[in-house]
Amino acid sequence: MKNIITIISKEFTRFFTDKRMILMTVLPAIMIYAVYTFMGTLMGDMFSPDEDHASQIFAVNTPASIVQSAPMFGLTIQSAGANEIDIIKENIINNEADLLIIFPQNFDELVGEFDSRTGPAPNVEMYFKSTEPNSQEAYFMMTALLDAYKSSLVTLFDINRGVENPDLATPENVAAMLISMLMPMLLMIVLFSGVMGLALESITGEKERGTIATLLVSPLKRRELAIGKILSLAVLSFLSGIVTAAATILALPNLMGGAAEDSINVDIYSATDYILLALIILTTLLLMVAMVSIVSAYAKTVKEAGQATTPLMILVMLVGVSGMFGGGAQTEMIYFFIPLYGSVQSMSGIFSLDYSVVNVLIACISTLVYASIGGFVLTKMFNSEKVMFSR
Amino acid sequence: MSVILKAEGLTKTFRLSAKQQKLQNTKKKTITAADHISFEAHEGEIFGLLGPNGAGKTTVLRMLATLIKADSGDAIVDGSSIKTDPEGVRSKIGFLTSELKLEDFFTPNYLFDFFAKIHHLTPEVRDKRKKELFDKFGINKFAEVKVVNCSTGMKQRTSLVISVIHDPNIVIFDEPTNGLDVITAKVVTDFLMEQKALGKTVVLSTHIFSLVEKLCDRAGIIIDGKMIVCDSLANITAEKPLEDVFFDLYAEAKGGEEQ
Repeated sequence: MKNIITIISKEFTRFFTDKRMILMTVLPAIMIYAVYTFMGTLMGDMFSPDEDHASQIFAVNTPASIVQSAPMFGLTIQSAGANEIDIIKENIINNEADLLIIFPQNFDELVGEFDSRTGPAPNVEMYFKSTEPNSQEAYFMMTALLDAYKSSLVTLFDINRGVENPDLATPENVAAMLISMLMPMLLMIVLFSGVMGLALESITGEKERGTIATLLVSPLKRRELAIGKILSLAVLSFLSGIVTAAATILALPNLMGGAAEDSINVDIYSATDYILLALIILTTLLLMVAMVSIVSAYAKTVKEAGQATTPLMILVMLVGVSGMFGGGAQTEMIYFFIPLYGSVQSMSGIFSLDYSVVNVLIACISTLVYASIGGFVLTKMFNSEKVMFSR
Repeated sequence: MSVILKAEGLTKTFRLSAKQQKLQNTKKKTITAADHISFEAHEGEIFGLLGPNGAGKTTVLRMLATLIKADSGDAIVDGSSIKTDPEGVRSKIGFLTSELKLEDFFTPNYLFDFFAKIHHLTPEVRDKRKKELFDKFGINKFAEVKVVNCSTGMKQRTSLVISVIHDPNIVIFDEPTNGLDVITAKVVTDFLMEQKALGKTVVLSTHIFSLVEKLCDRAGIIIDGKMIVCDSLANITAEKPLEDVFFDLYAEAKGGEEQ
């Protein structure tokens, strides 16, 4: 035990006294924050219409019924003559007008007299500019208005008439659903990248540079070395994971242009939720460290180890994505025995506030068992001269 | 003098890759790096393993240091078997070879403390030992310089100090003066003599005749993985100088081969 602590303390000293290593850990977090914020700002500017903008909507042969219902959709329609059509189209191209609607003459009457057996339905032409958010917005609103008008003519029944808020999901439910879809994948990827960044250097790096051989001729037991490495790497990658995850969570509202700010509210989780989450994250980290350590111990160079861990990274991402689909977390116990998948399902369940404690604990314990098997394999590898001294 | 290290029939084979087989023009799938090597080292003597490059000297020493496992045979090192008690062996020997490197990022001072902990030295013993060894090898000047910024000589001195941090009874050095300038090489040979004077046992490997003649009480000559001669230096060199003895043995060993 004493030797394990000695190894852990060396690994920590190696990490925390190296400015470059800390920078390499914090840098991705800063990058994520900057890129997400930048993307959010950019997309916001590109796709959202100017809210103060008063739409310039022109209509030819405007029917009275449409003019009356326009204010309900926040639209003001200006009448125009048939001779102005070309000028208005030109104005739309030059962003000076947003929408042109051409109704047939006596639109209301034509609609009233229309019989599908006698001829084609009256036609409304609408011209807009799709690359201009204000024009696009005016087009959508006008389409909605006309659809409403159309369905009012043939009403057989109404849906939710006078019902103020038919969506019975609480804001907590909405937040939990959003988080439970995004977070498991995000966590898995962030944690795994942290592990990769550290383990390759700490195991293959030491092997490549011959410094691990110095430890192997000391009276240290191979098992102590394996456990010391795995534990210290797990803690360090946990810290690096926290930094990256924090940056991502802070940047998410920026990315979604403020839309997520009200809905993502982490107050909805209880202490039990957090404890279980921490347990599943820590055990999963141990498993990831064990997996990457084994590949790292097998590889001859850091470069080779990097290539060899890429398939693992893809696997972790795929498993992470599985949390986004399938309509919430699995409930059958058997799924929670599957390494990594069980972790993702547990995280997904905890985030969506819909889980069984037993299943999450099963995932924690089985993950811990798999990690221990990994530790055992790593010990064997440290013991094998073929692995440790292969060139 | 009593036997403190006894190697019996140490054998180690390595597998040859297909490429290597072609290169050596052989159909053999394995190469025997050490072929039933037996020898004894006595308390308070310097024992030398002499042989050309690739003869198997390093393989023998690595088996003794438990870095690699013997296919067959055993060695008892100060009462511990390399087969059944590798940790015990490692705690009793100081092993130095060029393939053992120190982490670039740390300073000699930090590494000394780290390995002192691995060897379970108390802080008092550690500090006493540190002062002693750092003074002797002039490490104080660069004790706080990261290994990456140390010269080859500085690194070698630090490695040496760390290998004997626990004051072992047996010191096993693989090619201890290789790649060192004359000053550092002398520091190392002086240290080995001093260890002998203190009653410790030194086992070293080398291909340098003068080093064996200067230091060793007894020596074993290894050619192609086989121990050809193992005797006191006085007996080996009774009739002719060591160099001549070696070349005669070498010609004899190689003459017996088909190619």
